[in-house]
Amino acid sequence: MKELEAQFEQFVGQVAEPPRVARYAVNEAMIRNWVEAHDDLNPVYVDAEAARATGRSGVICPPAMVTTWVMQGYRRWRAVQRQQQTGVVEDHAYFRLLALLAEHGFTSVVATSQEQEYLRELQPGDHVTCHFTIESISPVKRTGLGLGCFITLNKRYEDQHGELLVDERFVMLRFDPRTQEDVA
Amino acid sequence: MSTLDIRGRAVGDTLPELALPLDRTTIVAAAIASQDFEDVHHDPSKANDRGTPDIFMSINSTNGFLDRYVTDVFGPTTRFKKVSLRLGVPNFPGDTMTFSGEVTQVAGDDVTLKVVGRNARGAHVTATVTITPSQEAAK
Repeated sequence: MKELEAQFEQFVGQVAEPPRVARYAVNEAMIRNWVEAHDDLNPVYVDAEAARATGRSGVICPPAMVTTWVMQGYRRWRAVQRQQQTGVVEDHAYFRLLALLAEHGFTSVVATSQEQEYLRELQPGDHVTCHFTIESISPVKRTGLGLGCFITLNKRYEDQHGELLVDERFVMLRFDPRTQEDVA
Repeated sequence: MSTLDIRGRAVGDTLPELALPLDRTTIVAAAIASQDFEDVHHDPSKANDRGTPDIFMSINSTNGFLDRYVTDVFGPTTRFKKVSLRLGVPNFPGDTMTFSGEVTQVAGDDVTLKVVGRNARGAHVTATVTITPSQEAAK
Protein backbone atom coordinates (compact mmCIF):
# COMPACT_ATOMS: atom_id res chain seq x y z
CA MET A 1 0.00 0.00 0.00
CA LYS A 2 2.91 2.34 0.73
CA GLU A 3 4.05 1.86 -2.85
CA LEU A 4 0.55 2.79 -4.07
CA GLU A 5 0.25 5.79 -1.74
CA ALA A 6 3.61 7.10 -2.93
CA GLN A 7 2.07 7.47 -6.38
CA PHE A 8 -0.82 9.65 -5.18
CA GLU A 9 1.31 12.77 -4.99
CA GLN A 10 1.70 13.04 -8.78
CA PHE A 11 -2.10 13.42 -9.13
CA VAL A 12 -2.75 16.04 -6.45
CA GLY A 13 -3.39 19.49 -7.89
CA GLN A 14 -3.77 18.12 -11.41
CA VAL A 15 -6.60 18.99 -13.77
CA ALA A 16 -8.73 15.83 -13.48
CA GLU A 17 -10.07 15.81 -17.04
CA PRO A 18 -10.77 18.33 -19.78
CA PRO A 19 -13.48 20.90 -18.91
CA ARG A 20 -16.96 19.44 -19.27
CA VAL A 21 -19.17 21.60 -21.44
CA ALA A 22 -22.91 21.05 -20.97
CA ARG A 23 -24.58 19.36 -23.94
CA TYR A 24 -27.33 21.99 -23.88
CA ALA A 25 -28.28 25.16 -22.05
CA VAL A 26 -30.12 25.15 -18.73
CA ASN A 27 -33.73 24.59 -19.77
CA GLU A 28 -37.21 24.34 -18.34
CA ALA A 29 -37.91 20.77 -19.51
CA MET A 30 -34.97 19.23 -17.64
CA ILE A 31 -35.78 21.36 -14.59
CA ARG A 32 -39.39 20.18 -14.59
CA ASN A 33 -38.34 16.51 -14.77
CA TRP A 34 -35.98 17.05 -11.85
CA VAL A 35 -38.49 18.81 -9.57
CA GLU A 36 -41.15 16.20 -10.33
CA ALA A 37 -38.73 13.38 -9.43
CA HIS A 38 -38.11 15.12 -6.08
CA ASP A 39 -41.83 15.92 -5.69
CA ASP A 40 -40.72 19.52 -5.14
CA LEU A 41 -43.63 21.98 -5.35
CA ASN A 42 -41.56 25.19 -5.09
CA PRO A 43 -43.13 27.27 -7.89
CA VAL A 44 -39.99 29.30 -8.69
CA TYR A 45 -38.66 26.35 -10.72
CA VAL A 46 -41.63 26.09 -13.09
CA ASP A 47 -43.74 29.27 -12.92
CA ALA A 48 -42.15 32.48 -14.22
CA GLU A 49 -44.79 34.66 -12.56
CA ALA A 50 -44.20 33.05 -9.18
CA ALA A 51 -40.45 33.43 -9.68
CA ARG A 52 -40.85 37.15 -10.53
CA ALA A 53 -42.90 37.62 -7.37
CA THR A 54 -39.76 36.65 -5.43
CA GLY A 55 -37.53 39.11 -7.27
CA ARG A 56 -36.11 36.74 -9.89
CA SER A 57 -36.35 37.64 -13.58
CA GLY A 58 -37.90 34.26 -14.40
CA VAL A 59 -37.74 30.62 -13.37
CA ILE A 60 -34.55 29.38 -11.74
CA CYS A 61 -32.81 26.03 -11.58
CA PRO A 62 -32.80 24.05 -8.30
CA PRO A 63 -29.36 24.59 -6.71
CA ALA A 64 -28.56 20.88 -6.38
CA MET A 65 -29.25 20.39 -10.09
CA VAL A 66 -26.04 22.15 -11.16
CA THR A 67 -24.26 18.80 -11.46
CA THR A 68 -26.89 17.54 -13.93
CA TRP A 69 -25.98 20.01 -16.66
CA VAL A 70 -22.48 18.62 -17.05
CA MET A 71 -23.37 14.94 -16.89
CA GLN A 72 -22.15 13.36 -20.07
CA GLY A 73 -25.34 11.66 -21.21
CA TYR A 74 -26.32 8.05 -21.73
CA ARG A 75 -24.35 7.43 -24.94
CA ARG A 76 -21.08 8.74 -23.54
CA TRP A 77 -21.68 6.85 -20.28
CA ARG A 78 -22.03 3.60 -22.24
CA ALA A 79 -18.85 4.35 -24.20
CA VAL A 80 -16.87 4.92 -20.98
CA GLN A 81 -18.21 1.63 -19.57
CA ARG A 82 -17.05 -0.22 -22.69
CA GLN A 83 -13.62 1.40 -22.49
CA GLN A 84 -13.25 0.32 -18.87
CA GLN A 85 -14.18 -3.28 -19.74
CA THR A 86 -11.59 -3.38 -22.49
CA GLY A 87 -8.93 -1.75 -20.31
CA VAL A 88 -8.68 1.40 -22.40
CA VAL A 89 -7.60 4.35 -20.25
CA GLU A 90 -8.09 7.89 -21.51
CA ASP A 91 -5.02 10.00 -20.93
CA HIS A 92 -6.33 12.31 -18.24
CA ALA A 93 -5.08 12.43 -14.66
CA TYR A 94 -8.40 11.32 -13.18
CA PHE A 95 -8.78 8.30 -15.49
CA ARG A 96 -5.18 7.28 -14.79
CA LEU A 97 -5.79 7.57 -11.04
CA LEU A 98 -8.94 5.42 -11.23
CA ALA A 99 -7.11 2.83 -13.35
CA LEU A 100 -4.24 2.73 -10.83
CA LEU A 101 -6.70 2.25 -7.97
CA ALA A 102 -8.60 -0.44 -9.89
CA GLU A 103 -5.32 -2.35 -10.42
CA HIS A 104 -5.02 -2.49 -6.63
CA GLY A 105 -8.61 -3.74 -6.19
CA PHE A 106 -10.29 -0.40 -5.42
CA THR A 107 -13.05 -0.89 -7.96
CA SER A 108 -16.13 0.39 -6.09
CA VAL A 109 -17.14 3.95 -5.35
CA VAL A 110 -19.45 5.80 -2.99
CA ALA A 111 -19.81 9.56 -2.62
CA THR A 112 -19.31 10.66 0.98
CA SER A 113 -19.65 14.43 1.06
CA GLN A 114 -20.38 17.45 -1.08
CA GLU A 115 -20.00 21.15 -0.40
CA GLN A 116 -21.44 23.69 -2.82
CA GLU A 117 -21.20 27.45 -2.62
CA TYR A 118 -23.73 29.17 -4.89
CA LEU A 119 -22.57 32.50 -6.29
CA ARG A 120 -25.71 33.05 -8.29
CA GLU A 121 -28.87 31.16 -9.24
CA LEU A 122 -28.89 29.39 -12.62
CA GLN A 123 -31.56 30.31 -15.16
CA PRO A 124 -32.68 28.87 -18.49
CA GLY A 125 -30.20 29.92 -21.17
CA ASP A 126 -27.11 29.62 -18.96
CA HIS A 127 -24.55 27.34 -20.58
CA VAL A 128 -22.52 25.56 -17.91
CA THR A 129 -18.91 24.40 -18.15
CA CYS A 130 -17.26 22.58 -15.25
CA HIS A 131 -13.54 22.54 -14.45
CA PHE A 132 -12.40 19.54 -12.37
CA THR A 133 -9.24 19.48 -10.26
CA ILE A 134 -7.96 16.64 -8.06
CA GLU A 135 -7.57 18.44 -4.74
CA SER A 136 -6.45 15.65 -2.42
CA ILE A 137 -6.17 11.87 -2.01
CA SER A 138 -6.15 10.32 1.45
CA PRO A 139 -3.90 7.45 2.48
CA VAL A 140 -5.55 4.00 2.28
CA LYS A 141 -7.85 3.56 5.29
CA ARG A 142 -10.05 0.84 6.68
CA THR A 143 -13.70 1.88 6.35
CA GLY A 144 -17.03 0.16 6.96
CA LEU A 145 -17.09 -0.80 3.28
CA GLY A 146 -13.53 -2.13 3.17
CA LEU A 147 -10.08 -0.71 2.46
CA GLY A 148 -10.22 2.47 0.44
CA CYS A 149 -9.07 6.01 -0.07
CA PHE A 150 -10.94 9.29 -0.21
CA ILE A 151 -10.57 11.47 -3.30
CA THR A 152 -11.52 15.15 -3.12
CA LEU A 153 -12.38 16.90 -6.38
CA ASN A 154 -12.80 20.65 -6.76
CA LYS A 155 -15.44 21.46 -9.35
CA ARG A 156 -15.85 24.99 -10.61
CA TYR A 157 -19.01 25.58 -12.60
CA GLU A 158 -18.91 28.60 -14.89
CA ASP A 159 -21.36 30.13 -17.34
CA GLN A 160 -20.63 30.87 -21.02
CA HIS A 161 -18.97 34.16 -20.01
CA GLY A 162 -16.58 32.49 -17.55
CA GLU A 163 -18.51 33.79 -14.53
CA LEU A 164 -18.25 31.44 -11.55
CA LEU A 165 -21.67 29.99 -10.68
CA VAL A 166 -20.90 27.27 -8.14
CA ASP A 167 -17.72 26.24 -6.35
CA GLU A 168 -17.90 22.61 -5.18
CA ARG A 169 -15.86 20.15 -3.16
CA PHE A 170 -16.86 16.57 -3.81
CA VAL A 171 -15.45 13.68 -1.80
CA MET A 172 -15.79 10.04 -2.74
CA LEU A 173 -14.45 6.79 -1.37
CA ARG A 174 -12.85 4.38 -3.81
CA PHE A 175 -12.82 0.99 -2.05
CA ASP A 176 -12.17 -2.72 -2.42
CA PRO A 177 -15.45 -4.54 -1.66
CA ARG A 178 -13.55 -7.82 -1.12
CA THR A 179 -11.95 -6.39 2.02
CA GLN A 180 -15.24 -5.59 3.78
CA GLU A 181 -15.42 -6.89 7.37
CA ASP A 182 -18.62 -7.54 9.24
CA VAL A 183 -19.27 -4.52 11.41
CA ALA A 184 -20.20 -5.54 14.94
CA MET B 1 -48.57 24.88 3.60
CA SER B 2 -47.59 27.81 5.76
CA THR B 3 -43.92 28.62 5.65
CA LEU B 4 -41.45 30.04 8.15
CA ASP B 5 -40.02 33.49 7.45
CA ILE B 6 -36.25 33.48 7.01
CA ARG B 7 -36.17 36.83 8.81
CA GLY B 8 -36.79 36.85 12.50
CA ARG B 9 -35.28 33.44 13.06
CA ALA B 10 -33.20 32.81 16.16
CA VAL B 11 -30.54 30.26 16.98
CA GLY B 12 -32.23 27.15 18.34
CA ASP B 13 -35.44 27.52 16.30
CA THR B 14 -36.51 24.10 15.09
CA LEU B 15 -37.95 23.27 11.68
CA PRO B 16 -41.05 21.11 11.19
CA GLU B 17 -40.15 17.56 10.17
CA LEU B 18 -40.78 16.08 6.74
CA ALA B 19 -41.07 12.29 6.27
CA LEU B 20 -40.33 11.02 2.77
CA PRO B 21 -41.18 7.40 1.98
CA LEU B 22 -38.70 6.20 -0.64
CA ASP B 23 -39.48 3.34 -2.97
CA ARG B 24 -37.39 1.88 -5.77
CA THR B 25 -39.05 4.14 -8.34
CA THR B 26 -38.25 7.28 -6.32
CA ILE B 27 -34.56 6.40 -6.19
CA VAL B 28 -34.37 5.49 -9.89
CA ALA B 29 -36.45 8.46 -11.09
CA ALA B 30 -34.31 10.95 -9.19
CA ALA B 31 -31.05 9.36 -10.46
CA ILE B 32 -32.21 9.45 -14.08
CA ALA B 33 -33.58 13.01 -13.75
CA SER B 34 -29.99 13.97 -12.85
CA GLN B 35 -28.60 11.98 -15.82
CA ASP B 36 -26.82 9.59 -13.44
CA PHE B 37 -26.68 6.11 -15.02
CA GLU B 38 -24.38 4.48 -12.43
CA ASP B 39 -25.70 0.94 -11.90
CA VAL B 40 -25.71 1.21 -8.09
CA HIS B 41 -28.65 3.62 -8.42
CA HIS B 42 -30.85 1.32 -10.54
CA ASP B 43 -29.52 -2.25 -10.91
CA PRO B 44 -29.86 -4.42 -7.73
CA SER B 45 -27.63 -7.29 -8.89
CA LYS B 46 -24.80 -4.97 -9.90
CA ALA B 47 -25.20 -3.08 -6.61
CA ASN B 48 -24.73 -6.48 -4.88
CA ASP B 49 -21.56 -7.12 -6.90
CA ARG B 50 -20.25 -3.78 -5.69
CA GLY B 51 -20.78 -4.65 -2.04
CA THR B 52 -24.17 -3.14 -1.17
CA PRO B 53 -27.38 -5.10 -0.48
CA ASP B 54 -29.55 -3.05 -2.86
CA ILE B 55 -29.57 0.05 -5.04
CA PHE B 56 -29.21 3.29 -3.08
CA MET B 57 -30.00 6.98 -3.47
CA SER B 58 -27.38 9.10 -5.25
CA ILE B 59 -25.71 12.02 -3.48
CA ASN B 60 -27.16 14.44 -6.03
CA SER B 61 -30.66 13.15 -5.27
CA THR B 62 -30.01 13.54 -1.55
CA ASN B 63 -28.95 17.12 -2.23
CA GLY B 64 -32.13 17.68 -4.27
CA PHE B 65 -34.37 16.34 -1.50
CA LEU B 66 -32.47 18.57 0.95
CA ASP B 67 -33.25 21.63 -1.21
CA ARG B 68 -36.87 20.56 -1.31
CA TYR B 69 -37.09 20.20 2.47
CA VAL B 70 -35.58 23.63 3.12
CA THR B 71 -37.82 25.42 0.60
CA ASP B 72 -40.89 23.48 1.81
CA VAL B 73 -40.14 25.04 5.21
CA PHE B 74 -39.01 28.56 4.19
CA GLY B 75 -40.94 29.07 0.95
CA PRO B 76 -40.14 30.29 -2.56
CA THR B 77 -38.14 33.38 -1.53
CA THR B 78 -35.40 31.07 -0.20
CA ARG B 79 -32.06 31.59 -1.88
CA PHE B 80 -29.33 29.04 -1.13
CA LYS B 81 -25.86 30.40 -0.47
CA LYS B 82 -24.09 27.25 0.66
CA VAL B 83 -24.82 23.58 1.25
CA SER B 84 -22.34 21.25 2.92
CA LEU B 85 -23.56 17.69 3.30
CA ARG B 86 -22.07 14.46 4.59
CA LEU B 87 -23.59 11.06 3.88
CA GLY B 88 -24.03 8.37 6.55
CA VAL B 89 -26.10 5.22 6.07
CA PRO B 90 -27.50 4.71 2.56
CA ASN B 91 -31.12 5.26 1.57
CA PHE B 92 -32.43 1.96 0.19
CA PRO B 93 -35.83 1.23 -1.42
CA GLY B 94 -38.44 0.92 1.31
CA ASP B 95 -36.74 3.37 3.65
CA THR B 96 -38.49 6.46 4.94
CA MET B 97 -36.17 9.43 5.32
CA THR B 98 -37.31 11.99 7.87
CA PHE B 99 -35.78 15.44 7.70
CA SER B 100 -35.44 17.65 10.75
CA GLY B 101 -33.52 20.85 11.26
CA GLU B 102 -32.62 23.72 13.50
CA VAL B 103 -31.18 27.20 13.18
CA THR B 104 -27.53 27.27 14.25
CA GLN B 105 -26.48 30.78 13.22
CA VAL B 106 -28.06 34.08 12.22
CA ALA B 107 -25.91 36.77 10.55
CA GLY B 108 -27.86 39.68 9.11
CA ASP B 109 -30.30 38.12 6.62
CA ASP B 110 -28.28 34.91 6.38
CA VAL B 111 -29.60 31.97 8.34
CA THR B 112 -27.56 28.80 8.79
CA LEU B 113 -29.31 25.53 9.51
CA LYS B 114 -28.24 22.10 10.61
CA VAL B 115 -30.40 19.59 8.77
CA VAL B 116 -30.42 15.83 9.30
CA GLY B 117 -32.24 13.25 7.15
CA ARG B 118 -32.65 9.98 9.08
CA ASN B 119 -33.92 6.56 8.15
CA ALA B 120 -34.50 3.60 10.48
CA ARG B 121 -30.78 2.72 10.50
CA GLY B 122 -29.49 6.19 11.38
CA ALA B 123 -28.52 9.49 9.77
CA HIS B 124 -28.45 9.28 5.98
CA VAL B 125 -27.39 12.89 5.59
CA THR B 126 -26.10 15.59 7.91
CA ALA B 127 -25.94 19.01 6.34
CA THR B 128 -25.11 22.63 7.04
CA VAL B 129 -27.21 24.95 4.86
CA THR B 130 -27.00 28.74 4.60
CA ILE B 131 -29.99 30.55 3.12
CA THR B 132 -31.01 34.16 2.62
CA PRO B 133 -34.18 35.83 1.31
CA SER B 134 -34.22 36.52 -2.44
CA GLN B 135 -33.68 40.17 -3.44
CA GLU B 136 -37.33 41.18 -3.74
CA ALA B 137 -38.06 39.73 -0.34
CA ALA B 138 -35.07 41.63 1.03
CA LYS B 139 -36.55 45.03 0.15
